[in-house]
Amino acid sequence: MKKFLLMFMFFFLAAAGVMYAQEMSVSGKITDGSSGDPIPGANVVEKGTSNGTVTDIDGNYKLSVQNGATLVVSFIGYATQEVAVGSRGVVDVSLAVDVTELSEVVVVGYGSQDKKEITSSVVALSEKEFNKGNINDATQLLQGKVPGLSVYNKGGNPNANSTIRLRGISTVGANTEPLVVVDGVIGASLDNVDPNDIESVNVLKDGSAAAIYGSRGSSGVILVTTKRGSRTGGVSVNYNGYVAAASVLNQQPVMEPGEYIAAGGNDLGANTDWQKEVTRTAVSNVHNIAVSGGNETTTFRLSSNFRNIEGVLKKSGFDQINTRASLNHRAFDNRLTVDFNMSMTNRESDFSFNEALRYAVLYNPTAPIRFDNGEYFQAILFDNFNPVAIIDQNTNTGKRKNLNFNTQMSFAITDELSVTANYGQQYTNVLNGEYYSRASLFRGFNRGGLARRYTSDNKFTLFETYATYSKGFDRINLDVSAGYSFQEDEFEDIFIELGNFPSDELGQYALETAGDRISGLASNVNISSSASPENRIIAFFGRVNLTFDNAIFFNASVRREGSTKLGADNQWGVFPALGVGVDLQNYLQLGGVDVLKLRVGYGVTGSLPGPSGLAQDLYNYSFQGGGQVSLVRDANPDLKWEEKSEINLGIDFGLGGKLTGALDIYTRDINDFILERAVPTDLYPSGTRFENAGKLQTRGAELSLNYNSIAIGEVRWTPGVVLSTYSTTLEEFIIDEQTRANLGAPGQNSTNLIRVAVGEEIGQIWGPVFEGVESNGAPRFADLNGDGTVNSDQGLALDPAGDFQELGNGIPDLEVGWTNQVTYKNWDFNAFFRGAFGHSLVNTYRAFYEPIDPGAINSYNRISTDEAVDGLTSAQFSSLYVEKANFLKLDNVTLGYTFNTSKASNIKNLRVYANIQNAFVITNYTGIDPEPILQDFGPVDNGGFLGTTPDVLSPGIDRRNNYFTARTFTFGVSLGL
Amino acid sequence: MKNLFKILFLIPLSLLALSCTDLDEEIKGDFTSDFDPANPGVGIRNNVNAQSPSDGLSAAFTRLLNGTANHGSYFSVAEISTDEAVITQKGGDWFDGGIWLQTHQHDFNPAQGGINGAWGDLYGGVTQCNILLDEGGLDAAGTAQVRMLRAYFYWKLMDMFGNIKLVTTPGTDVAQTNRAAAFNFIESELLAAIPDLTAGRADYGRASQGAAYALLSRLYLNAEVYTGTAMYQEAIDAADMVINSGNYSLSASYADVFAPDNVDNVEHIFVAPFDESTGTGMNIAQFTLHYPSQLTFRLQQQPWNGYSTLEDFYNSYADGDNRKENNFIVGPQTDLDGNPILDLAFDKADPDGAEINYTPEINELFPNGSRQAGARFGKFSFKIGQGPEMDNDYPLLRFGEVLLNKAEAQCRQAGNWSAGVDLVNQLRSRASATPFTTMTEADFLAERGRELFLESLRRTDLIRFEQWGAAWWEKDAHSNPDYDIMPIPIEQINASASEAFPLSQNPGY
Repeated sequence: MKKFLLMFMFFFLAAAGVMYAQEMSVSGKITDGSSGDPIPGANVVEKGTSNGTVTDIDGNYKLSVQNGATLVVSFIGYATQEVAVGSRGVVDVSLAVDVTELSEVVVVGYGSQDKKEITSSVVALSEKEFNKGNINDATQLLQGKVPGLSVYNKGGNPNANSTIRLRGISTVGANTEPLVVVDGVIGASLDNVDPNDIESVNVLKDGSAAAIYGSRGSSGVILVTTKRGSRTGGVSVNYNGYVAAASVLNQQPVMEPGEYIAAGGNDLGANTDWQKEVTRTAVSNVHNIAVSGGNETTTFRLSSNFRNIEGVLKKSGFDQINTRASLNHRAFDNRLTVDFNMSMTNRESDFSFNEALRYAVLYNPTAPIRFDNGEYFQAILFDNFNPVAIIDQNTNTGKRKNLNFNTQMSFAITDELSVTANYGQQYTNVLNGEYYSRASLFRGFNRGGLARRYTSDNKFTLFETYATYSKGFDRINLDVSAGYSFQEDEFEDIFIELGNFPSDELGQYALETAGDRISGLASNVNISSSASPENRIIAFFGRVNLTFDNAIFFNASVRREGSTKLGADNQWGVFPALGVGVDLQNYLQLGGVDVLKLRVGYGVTGSLPGPSGLAQDLYNYSFQGGGQVSLVRDANPDLKWEEKSEINLGIDFGLGGKLTGALDIYTRDINDFILERAVPTDLYPSGTRFENAGKLQTRGAELSLNYNSIAIGEVRWTPGVVLSTYSTTLEEFIIDEQTRANLGAPGQNSTNLIRVAVGEEIGQIWGPVFEGVESNGAPRFADLNGDGTVNSDQGLALDPAGDFQELGNGIPDLEVGWTNQVTYKNWDFNAFFRGAFGHSLVNTYRAFYEPIDPGAINSYNRISTDEAVDGLTSAQFSSLYVEKANFLKLDNVTLGYTFNTSKASNIKNLRVYANIQNAFVITNYTGIDPEPILQDFGPVDNGGFLGTTPDVLSPGIDRRNNYFTARTFTFGVSLGL
Repeated sequence: MKNLFKILFLIPLSLLALSCTDLDEEIKGDFTSDFDPANPGVGIRNNVNAQSPSDGLSAAFTRLLNGTANHGSYFSVAEISTDEAVITQKGGDWFDGGIWLQTHQHDFNPAQGGINGAWGDLYGGVTQCNILLDEGGLDAAGTAQVRMLRAYFYWKLMDMFGNIKLVTTPGTDVAQTNRAAAFNFIESELLAAIPDLTAGRADYGRASQGAAYALLSRLYLNAEVYTGTAMYQEAIDAADMVINSGNYSLSASYADVFAPDNVDNVEHIFVAPFDESTGTGMNIAQFTLHYPSQLTFRLQQQPWNGYSTLEDFYNSYADGDNRKENNFIVGPQTDLDGNPILDLAFDKADPDGAEINYTPEINELFPNGSRQAGARFGKFSFKIGQGPEMDNDYPLLRFGEVLLNKAEAQCRQAGNWSAGVDLVNQLRSRASATPFTTMTEADFLAERGRELFLESLRRTDLIRFEQWGAAWWEKDAHSNPDYDIMPIPIEQINASASEAFPLSQNPGY
């Protein structure tokens, strides 16, 4: 049905396209303005349409256009030019080299600015610069492209969102992910934006740019602009579609049956490649169809996106429909502008079970999948489940619906003064269900079948209004804005878990049949519900932009913001920002220099943690002792805003007509960071409350360089590189030194992997240093303090008597993205390399399962890597399991061909392409994926459920619940009518 | 120009008049004040336990459930540090950073997780008592019960950590005191509470005069350890107050005292009233049984194969002593149908192969303790089909202990270890063990061990009998008096660093 619908729309719109036809033919030559050389591969497009072509080897083109058309001629490295065709049949165009690209308009908070006037660190990316391939999460478009922005989706689980960090962690207890603003709507969810619909993305990196967003901008801001209809008339239809095939890139290296038996494992007679049994070649297909158009007063765009995505883990994936509509209308001599946007997403996911990947690694390779009688083989052992049975016997699915709309109206009262109001709402509904069958040893068997249901409802409301005044005087341009912002968030959810079902047939869909309902055991019937208060943020803001001589730029803003979450005396915070930029080249006139601009920005933002009621005592009721009320969290009415102040120094430069770049260095201080902390139970009955606990400082530098086309014959190569580095230090904290992040069972509880200490860098992996093997198979550790005895007991981890040291750091020293764009005639080729260096990972699979432990080999297969040490039989965490995870990968490679089109075919443009994601990885890391892991969700074992609160102070732990990395081949078509 | 600026700011401001600046927070998902629950007695319909009294004291008394019979807190420290319980490292299982091996070998340090659990659970109880007392609204009997309860928590803290803070008002920090001061406080609190406590048996899970006197007998018996001054006559007198009250007596069956349906057993003086729904926190089946023993009892969750008993301790029971059969699970194990249960990951060196046979002998403490070795804990017997939470009430003070307290005080006072033989023989007779005619100090300690196994008293007993530093299986002898008290947990020292009175570490740690 879905496919039928798609075809129908396609043909209907194609027919509509045929109706426009009053054409003429135009041809000509495109040349370099300074040398006069022809430019092959330049784009020549009829303005306002998708009708276009590409110049041949001699720079010649030929195109059918409508009467009165305007041509838009563009090529990388040259300034785009528009030429009216008039009645001419031959239009030659010479393009001027464009090294500045400073005329670009960049969207910033509550308005836009010429790129030239910006005094903060802002990176703008347009569609052509996005990552390509099978991308289902808009943040993946940016991975590696923006210096300072880290985007990691370990393994690439299609149902998991990426972890995003801008300039490292910006807070400990609050939201560490950047604020997303979609078409002016603060806090919009990227879940409701299909990657196909994104026109451009701007990233506001430093505090001076983000301060206008107040508390929510503390972790940086990502501004997303969706595609719009064109004002120049006509309707165009675009189709983008692809098919992608993904397969497992790396398996966890484990013993083959022969090795396993030789190492002492019990031979159960079969030969099973468990990792292969639970994975597959996953085939996904994606279709996007968009209709857009408009005239002088009205533009529109409608798009629909269909995604049918499979993950490499069997059963995992989702089906999704997303539609988006935008309408823009101008009236009263263009004094009134109305914008309306609406989008809807319906996603149906099969989460499958990541645990199957874990047990596929660990399961006895000589065990059969099934017994002779057809039942699944199971051994009743700790943390041991037949992985094929986990997937086959149980279900884990969910539905998510997102809906949002916003209306923005702007009215120009005079030529200088305009006022804008924006109202929007966003809804998210989730309905998840799991069912573990009566036969499933994993979670189901001992409960007689187990069902879990979860549903949540979220509503976000935004109302903002602001006025802007712009005026030019002699050598000064002035731009002043002031406004008000109201944001409100409401959330409710319900969870139900119970078991003892009479039959597996209905399972989660017939909770009323669960026997646990009448057992009377509260511990078996797990029901909970919650609701948030109306969490509000209310703010007043103002900004002044002043330009002197069109060369000296001054920006200042202030936002006064209040939150419901804090105590009455501390609700309001003030967040100022200041920035100055100077176009030095305007005064210096240096030879060989095209651009030289210096920027300095300082800004303060605030942040608050997610939970509500920080300033109030919270009590819960439990049935212990026949019913009692007890305090679960102590109030802290004195809690105040966590503040981040950041100073950014940047240089933009262009040299020799070819090289452009930007260098930014920054220092950010996070003062009074907020943390839920253990407090003495003799004073605070709950033993926990939120406190302003300490101070973090991050220093970093970012560099981006682009070289505009190196020509080798007809081949043009445009390389670009982004580099970033940072480190974060804990400047102040109530606890001088502590360890955290437990390794877990089997056998390695109370083993903390990470050390956090005042005055030192965040992310230290901490433990004893492996030196060799004792005769009894136990590891021998180094006597690091030279006191003659080795104390590797966890209790002495921080004691001078203990022999512990830093074994690595989970945060990379250097992150690199290297883009290469190559064009040849109608061909385009793009290779994007991405790397991270200097970070280490704790390979927990090895830490548990590599030693040939006679007490455990029959429970778990052994990890088999070159790092394994002969004779070691005892698993105990040490430097042996901490690996440098430097890597360089060919992350994304695309080869495309654009067909020459003629008007007669009704096809305005046609491009086909093939793409590979994760083509290859160069690394010494022995685990599945060397990508950094920036936060930790803790250990989980024996069918338990994974925690949901990340610990951002514990990066660098490669846990056993990560998804397997895939290599994906994509073949796609873009068609314009 | 000026006018323009005015307009510029007036427009948004006029819109503000229509908008909201209300920042009051109305919490919906949690309660923001204390209240008396309006559903007394909830949860008694389908289980074997009695209803908890609806007297507003539950918030404090249920704190007794925390750390008393679960892994990782008071119980673990009190048991694993002695000669009656051990957690061996079973290859890849139960190494846990070495903390349980160290605890067994008396290599104590402030970062071992169990002591922090104990501290937190016990002070959680103290604080809840302080809140109830501070809120007012309790009658004299209620106040007395809460003071007795707080004294009990403080006894455990003083006994385990020595130098503690005697906080009596919620939110008001006080300086750390020494052990003798804590002793005096506990004694005076108990004596002050007695007149207002019931002279009869207490309501289920609550405190009576008998409980206060029983705790006093324990306190006085150990007075020499705590303060340097012996108080044996006081111990005898306190014990007599319990014995002569007529409220308590020995249960005819030792097993009944600890069984799942042991509610209000005649021997119980003061209990932690565990219940699988309304009094959770006892997980003995989980932490002692081997994984496949799930089939023997059809447990709802797989057990963890952790704790067992030392062979010498198991052998301290003579054959025919009922307590030996009751307290331990040994030998070949079967499922409910009588079929042997299998450990498919058995160690090839194990003579029993895959079929599970709990042997009292344990091959080694670490690194490769056999998965099937060690007698398991059967004293608090298991229900078929039980979940991870058990129903058995845990006696914190019971008549049998009071008899032994009195007998020991008599022996010590008389300087003759046979002086208390009649009282001891009451317990031996019940267990069908041969009565003693004479006793030595070692006999007495061993008898206390056999009777009070798993009741978290062994550590205190070993210290009082000066056997704490003695050698036992896989534990060397030491003579470090600092080890008579545990280190203050590092987490608590950290947490208190920003308070008025930061905690100091105990000497020697």
